[in-house]
Amino acid sequence: MKTLLEFRSVNKTYQNGNHALRGVSFKVKEGEFVSIIGPSGSGKSTVLRSINRLQGISSGSITFDGEEISKLRGRALRALRRRIGMIFQNYNLVLPLSVIQNALHGRLGSMGPIKGILGLYSEDDKRKALAILDELGIGDFALTRASDLSGGQKQRVGIARALMQDPKLLLCDEPIASLDPQSARTIMDLLRDQAASRGIACIVNLHQLDIARAYSDRIIGLRRGVVVFDGAPTDLDDDVLRRIYGDGFSQDNVQGGQADAHADLACA
Amino acid sequence: MKELLMRPQYLMNRSGQKIAIRAKDRGHTLMLFFAGVIILSILSFCCLGVNWGRLASRSPQILEVFWKLGHISLDQADLVFVSLFETISIAVLSLLYSLLLGIVFGMFAARNVFGIPALSVFVQSFFSFLRAVPTPIWVLLMLVCIGIGPEAGVAGLCVHTTAFFTKSFAQSFEEIPDETLEAIEATGAGKVIVFMNAVLPAAFSQIVAWCGMRLEVNFSECAILGMVGAGGIGFVIANSIQGYDFGTAGLAILLVFLTAFLIERMFIAVKRIFK
Amino acid sequence: MRTRILLVPKKTRRMYTAFIAVIIALFVISTLSTDFDAFTLIGKSNAIWQFISEDFIPPKLPSESKVYDIFEGVLVTLALAMSSTTLAAILAFFTALFGSEQVSPYPFAARFVRSFATFLRNIPTLVWAFILFSSLGIGTGVGFAALLITSYAFMCRAFIETMEDVSDDCCESLMAVGASFPQRVFQAIVPSCVIGFISWYLYCLEVNIRASTIVGMVGGGGIGLVLFSYIKTFQYGISCSIIMVIAVMVIAVDQITGAIRRELSK
Repeated sequence: MKTLLEFRSVNKTYQNGNHALRGVSFKVKEGEFVSIIGPSGSGKSTVLRSINRLQGISSGSITFDGEEISKLRGRALRALRRRIGMIFQNYNLVLPLSVIQNALHGRLGSMGPIKGILGLYSEDDKRKALAILDELGIGDFALTRASDLSGGQKQRVGIARALMQDPKLLLCDEPIASLDPQSARTIMDLLRDQAASRGIACIVNLHQLDIARAYSDRIIGLRRGVVVFDGAPTDLDDDVLRRIYGDGFSQDNVQGGQADAHADLACA
Repeated sequence: MKELLMRPQYLMNRSGQKIAIRAKDRGHTLMLFFAGVIILSILSFCCLGVNWGRLASRSPQILEVFWKLGHISLDQADLVFVSLFETISIAVLSLLYSLLLGIVFGMFAARNVFGIPALSVFVQSFFSFLRAVPTPIWVLLMLVCIGIGPEAGVAGLCVHTTAFFTKSFAQSFEEIPDETLEAIEATGAGKVIVFMNAVLPAAFSQIVAWCGMRLEVNFSECAILGMVGAGGIGFVIANSIQGYDFGTAGLAILLVFLTAFLIERMFIAVKRIFK
Repeated sequence: MRTRILLVPKKTRRMYTAFIAVIIALFVISTLSTDFDAFTLIGKSNAIWQFISEDFIPPKLPSESKVYDIFEGVLVTLALAMSSTTLAAILAFFTALFGSEQVSPYPFAARFVRSFATFLRNIPTLVWAFILFSSLGIGTGVGFAALLITSYAFMCRAFIETMEDVSDDCCESLMAVGASFPQRVFQAIVPSCVIGFISWYLYCLEVNIRASTIVGMVGGGGIGLVLFSYIKTFQYGISCSIIMVIAVMVIAVDQITGAIRRELSK
């Protein structure tokens, strides 16, 4: 498989002197499903957001689809973002707009300026949006306002918006952190199935170890901005987890979502 | 919900036509609102009967006045500072007296404290009348009644501020769920005790927020009172502008600006602490 | 030594104590500095009562030709408020786009936009009126300009805050799909903030109805000027009726804006 994304010794330092990333290097192949795990503040989000440049990096290089992207600006940056879908923890929908309008926002990057401003989407786009919404099981809510949906449904709209971009890569920043376990499973299933059937690579930030294990092809463990693990889910043993979450970590007393809370305690 | 479930059918029947993407509610009201605003505003512009051309041709003089105001003179600095201090004091005093009055009247105006609807309706409508008349008019009338002095300023400002507090505090008090009040009343406590122990503490942070907001308003109200004949910094500004003493006016305006700015900053800081 | 049992956390308690201490200090300082005496006021309540019962009430009507002046004044005051608020809102909307750090395409310029608005806002309307009167002469147009400046500055701040409250997240998501700045504005910010904007616009309209009455008093024309002329000539009965008219006008506008708000927030 071809390499889609490559980080080469990426560093990120915030203005207040905090090192968010230190020498992060990894590769993601086309169609691969990668999870990033690590305690809060370990730089998971920064990794994702530096890919589509919602945040800049301080040094190092990121290549996407054979193109160096860490210095892109203006039009070229927008063209890059168009090819990368993103799903957010808080869904980030425009709440007063309808579900289908939110999904169609995925097309904005590829539309003319005036049409985009006025929201004049082509009928083909609309049909495609309806099809995607139907696939995600929210077709019946196409004309409902996004504010009237439940959390799980909102996240599906978020997925629909990302899929409308026909992306090669999907960035998911804690996609299920605000959801109940049942909807979380549903969302992860949808993500994996859609990504697999469309051949989209996924990078998912996760708090929940069990979910990461169950869904990923590969797992990357971050701790204080350093990659401390990069391998198959089966290689994720107690020893590795201790490296990621700190010494207080023990698998016996931690189940899934609580890993992070315990790790924080252990650090404190 | 019913319409929503029918959606796919509705779209498929008309697959040849454009697919609707807007959520159907609200759009019309908004359009109506904008149309109304635009029409009314255009009518208003016509109604003013202002010679805009002449106004525009004179506008360079604004810069000239600013230029003159910029040459701040300190000749009468002592007068300016004293009147600024007086203005601030009047603003603070009227705020504090109104705070007390506002809590008392707010208690009567809130529907849930005493549970007598007629009383709260009466109090609320009386104060909405007081609130509807701008402060400087009250101050003018107070000046007529009791003569020049801080009393007139404080009393005039208090009328409006108390009316404002009564309404806002009543609102905050009413946000407290009836169940909570019932739970405490069930312990056998009287209305006033319930108010002091449950309603007031729960509304405290909001009261602080209202106070901060009102202090800003009161200061700027107070600063302009002088212009309608009461004392304070406004009188200095009006007087020196009319007497072409732009240097003193410039200093006074600068001080008004700085004070208002400081109050605003302080309020933002306080809000952060209480959040 | 026995310590008292605290009912609230120490920090909260300290904050309350500090708050009350500040209030008492302010009270003492300002009372001393102005020689304000609440008892003088109570002592003079007699005079106030006498004024109200003898001069003020009953409200009197002026001669018929003057009644027309009053209604024209009301109309001018309303028109002044309406036109200045609308123009200010339009200008403020475009300014606010550049004043919010998350939204603006030039985040570092946002600070300047905001300081400019702060400067305009913190000088009271009436002071603006006086500055403008001295340069442009007395008249309705100048009253309009004074109202425009302060309501513009006020709405700039309000709009920026609305945007920062509402659209941080959704703006980010549109940035992630590669939408341009105007697209973000009209597809994310406007839909999510429009109700907030309107609500601030209506609030500003309410404020401006009162403010335009006051600006009128010092020379901007309208009902304020009419009232001022009657007060100056000691015709308190007529002043009373005009005050009633002003109250009715303000309450009517408040009711209408309230109804619009309810209708829109449905």
